[in-house]
Amino acid sequence: MTVTTPAPNPARFIRADGPDKVTGSGRYTADLTLTGMLAAKFKYAGIAHGRITRLDTTAAKAIPGVFAVLTQADVPNVRFGPFVQDRTLFADGVVRFEAEIVAAVAAVDAATAQRAVDAIVVEYELLPVVNDPETALAADAPLVHTDWASYGASGALVRERNDASFSSIAKGDVERGMAEAAVVVRSRYDADGCHAAPIEPRAIVAQWEGDKVTIWTSTQVPYDARAGVCETLELPANRVRIIVPHLGGGFGGKCGFHFEAHIAALAKAARRPVRLLFSRREEFLAPDKRRESICYDFETGVSSDGRIVARRVTLVLDNGAYTADAGFFSQLGAMHALGPYRIPNLLAEAHLAYTNHQPSGSVRAPTAPQTCWALESHTDEVARAIGMDPVAFRQLNAVDTGLEGPTGQIYGEIGVQECIERAARMAGYGQQLPDDEAIGVAIGWWPSFAVPSGAYVKIDGDGSAQIITGAQECGTGSVMTLPQLAADELGMSAADFQLVYQDTSVAPYDMGATGSQTLFNNGRAVIAAAAQIAQQLRALAADHLEADPADIVLADGQAFVAGTPGRAVPIATLAGIAAGGELLIGHGSGMPPGPPPISGSTCVGDAGMAAWVAPQFSCHAVRVKLDRDTGVARIMHVAAAHDSGTIINPLGAEGQVQGGVLMGIGQALTEGTGYDNEAHQRTAGLLDYKLQTCADAPPIDIHFVQINTPNAGPRGAKGLAEAPNVATAAAIANAIAQLVGAPVRQLPMTAERVWDTLQEVAQNTIGGAA
Amino acid sequence: MSFTIARTVEDALAAIAAGARPIAGGTDLVVGARHGKAALPADLVAIDRIAGLDDITAGSAGLTLGANASHHAIEHHPVVAGSYSALADGSALVGSPATRHVGTIGGNVMNASPAMDTGAGLVVLGAEVELRSLHGTRRVPISELWSGPGRTIAQPEELCVAVHLPQPAANSGSAYLRLEYRRAMEIAVVGAAANVTLAADGTVAAVQVALSAVGPTIVSVMGLDTLVGSSVADAAEAAAAAASAQATPISDVRASDRYRRHTVGVMARRAVETAARRAAGETIAIPVNRTLGIGAAS
Ligand SMILES: Cc1cc2nc3c(=O)[nH]c(=O)nc-3n(C[C@H](O)[C@H](O)[C@H](O)COP(=O)(O)OP(=O)(O)OC[C@H]3O[C@@H](n4cnc5c(N)ncnc54)[C@H](O)[C@@H]3O)c2cc1C
Repeated sequence: MTVTTPAPNPARFIRADGPDKVTGSGRYTADLTLTGMLAAKFKYAGIAHGRITRLDTTAAKAIPGVFAVLTQADVPNVRFGPFVQDRTLFADGVVRFEAEIVAAVAAVDAATAQRAVDAIVVEYELLPVVNDPETALAADAPLVHTDWASYGASGALVRERNDASFSSIAKGDVERGMAEAAVVVRSRYDADGCHAAPIEPRAIVAQWEGDKVTIWTSTQVPYDARAGVCETLELPANRVRIIVPHLGGGFGGKCGFHFEAHIAALAKAARRPVRLLFSRREEFLAPDKRRESICYDFETGVSSDGRIVARRVTLVLDNGAYTADAGFFSQLGAMHALGPYRIPNLLAEAHLAYTNHQPSGSVRAPTAPQTCWALESHTDEVARAIGMDPVAFRQLNAVDTGLEGPTGQIYGEIGVQECIERAARMAGYGQQLPDDEAIGVAIGWWPSFAVPSGAYVKIDGDGSAQIITGAQECGTGSVMTLPQLAADELGMSAADFQLVYQDTSVAPYDMGATGSQTLFNNGRAVIAAAAQIAQQLRALAADHLEADPADIVLADGQAFVAGTPGRAVPIATLAGIAAGGELLIGHGSGMPPGPPPISGSTCVGDAGMAAWVAPQFSCHAVRVKLDRDTGVARIMHVAAAHDSGTIINPLGAEGQVQGGVLMGIGQALTEGTGYDNEAHQRTAGLLDYKLQTCADAPPIDIHFVQINTPNAGPRGAKGLAEAPNVATAAAIANAIAQLVGAPVRQLPMTAERVWDTLQEVAQNTIGGAA
Repeated sequence: MSFTIARTVEDALAAIAAGARPIAGGTDLVVGARHGKAALPADLVAIDRIAGLDDITAGSAGLTLGANASHHAIEHHPVVAGSYSALADGSALVGSPATRHVGTIGGNVMNASPAMDTGAGLVVLGAEVELRSLHGTRRVPISELWSGPGRTIAQPEELCVAVHLPQPAANSGSAYLRLEYRRAMEIAVVGAAANVTLAADGTVAAVQVALSAVGPTIVSVMGLDTLVGSSVADAAEAAAAAASAQATPISDVRASDRYRRHTVGVMARRAVETAARRAAGETIAIPVNRTLGIGAAS
């Protein structure tokens, strides 16, 4: 039984940073100029795999206006990486992907820096290029890291040669399940990698004062960036300050630690502030954040009454040249390949294969949209094979409240069934459509990430308040909801609060704009901090009104005695009193909810992704029109139903769903990163890497299934930034498959791939008829 | 290195004779330079402030587009939209509103990209470009202007001052459409324009078809004279077959040659059908791509 409750305070408020960004008065990292500032440029490998036989920076250093030229020899010899310590700041003698940094230059201006970069002499002995993740796993495949066995790594990872992280999930007896199934369906799917493509190419400015460095950077995760600088330059945390001016989008691409240490090291060597500005091409090639390509082999057995009895699935993920934050992707991908379904017997095996490609890393819901696409395409094949309606098949097999998920997690109140019902209804599923239109349906899920987080709240003598938080805003508006939470706790209005954020030396730790976690965790911290002040205010008011603190109510900017609203004092007055005594300062963190228990499954390579706190569910139903002569698909309408718990700000929440859906459409149809035979990206620019535009946006109907979620974030909120990006491509695929007569087995489902599939179907039909 | 702002055509011709390159909207020249396609020429003469060079004049002799006429102006000019629809269809597809306000017909034509969106329409409408230098003026049929991707037969000291189009025949209509993967900021994967004149009995009295993005220059489809007297449906099919046969597309990241060869036929068929409907008096709003949902359906 699911209960839909309205949000306690569904304020539709416009985000505080909006006017700055829209009017152009907001400042981004690239807008900063410091006295004496130099320009940085990187020397990239340009080849995908080779051993450096000569590296000579003499000529570059001799160019007038060049202040510093650095290589790995000039920085501490530290190997780093969040899961596998396989990376160095500069090439360690071997380059492993085309945009590996071999050297960095700081010079008076960008043109001089570029001349110096061009004057750096590098010679290589070419090594065999590992260009395909599946063949990379062969026993005799050339190694991307010959020293892989000696690298430090997280203890949970299971590694072997080019397999940087093997993970499996097993439950029941998959052999027997398959043997007992009435029908077994096998499918193969291949998803290309794709990009976060934020509008702001990254920028970094570093300046030293004595032995302390301040780094302004376009990162989604300031504390991670700080940790990376500290680790690689061997500095204590309190000597590195990371400040993020406005961030021009991230979509995960700016998670992790990137180039902050390079620029700090340049600034130190040059004894001048240094600024790095990426070109669009660099933004495509250099960050270790590309959505991973994955290939899938599915096998699902169903009973004659349409119940899934067994699933076997193998995933090979492209890790790229370094492991970055992808260490947990194999287990996360395996979870998504099993999906929010009840499956008694299963075996999922996932490999994270090193290749000579750009490293993979968190892009909005890593592993999820492409795996949902593959799984849900496969699910429609299964439903068709036993003659069941795809929606009915999902209703029968999806998890639900009180039922057991693939790893044996028993769910509390969840809304997946209601999402299916709502999305189908909003889309008009079942209606008569023209023969070039169809509605596809897919369900998706995504965890909430419960992690430590901190915030301070203070109210000054005039009654105005500040939230000083470690949280980072990447465009979701999530940080902008924090004042509402503090205001509700303190009986004030959101407008009474200013935010101080994105500065690691000012606020306590937060994981950053990653994992849809800001509201979930920092919301908890802000409420805890505000609660401390609320207690102070109650004590002050009790004194002032001669009442019991327990009877004091904070509301409408006042403190009053419960039951007698006439006995009241403005909070601003209390703040004035406090300013002369004990100041109104609160700090908060709160304990993150612990992981739910699981039973009955065995997980190898367990990265903590087998059980999900406050899991989010979604169902998207998409109406697609297909031009069968050309294979061009057009999205006519999207219905998106989401269980992301309580919605705190509907305006912001709808924006997340609209953006997630549009990104999903791009992933479905036009966004893909292919490699040529030398492992160079073929579409490293916005001309050929085709994002969706506003002109392409279809009408999007949204419904939030709001449920009293146990063990969730503030007021029962889960996350929402990543979940809307999960199911769109899958729903589109299922519509296209109906129109084509077969699934398109590659993502993106470009017009040409759709057309190719149409040709195959036509040929098979003719062949079958003959 | 120099940057001259020309106030008159004569200013511009003098600067060009001295070695400067004309820059109109700069949407090809500057953007191309930023993308590393070709460095910005050392000497530039801006022609965008020459008075009258953006005039669009319609008269009994036909239509004259000043070289600086913007895509936006072309798209929204009632005579262009009504009588030279294929051209308006093309201009209306260029880039984004910003690109259409800044980008010019002269720049589009002289840039000589085989994927340009006005070229096929200009070819089927029988356009001529007027090239002027300090030594005089000449008119060149547009299909003879392009000599390869990014190349024209114009001399370095020649400025394109105008594009002329003859009065269209009675009972004729034209259309341009392209295959596109998204609805803004797109480049033609392939494109086709058709100009169809109908006889009183509804059969085809004349048909011209030209193709974009399937060869080194805009391709004029040959051998369509034999279609005179045939039904529109037959002419459309035959034009499609001829287009696919005469196209010489390449494979690149946007599409394979095989796919281009097929889809240019589809575009040609639809262009003929749409042009014929317009010839029959039907109003089909500019651009056809949006109205009829070609490629990315409406
Ligand atoms: C974002 C974007 C999207 C685009 N989309 C499209 C599209 O969809 N379809 C399309 O066809 N094009 C497109 N373009 C290309 C471009 O906008 C058009 O070709 C436009 O018409 C060029 O005109 P311009 O005035 O900007 O040319 P410029 O860049 O000023 O000049 C282009 C070339 O022509 C020369 N030139 C300019 N005027 C003259 C003249 N009068 N005489 C002689 N030589 C001259 C210049 O020297 C230069 O070599 C796009 C460009 C951008 C940036």
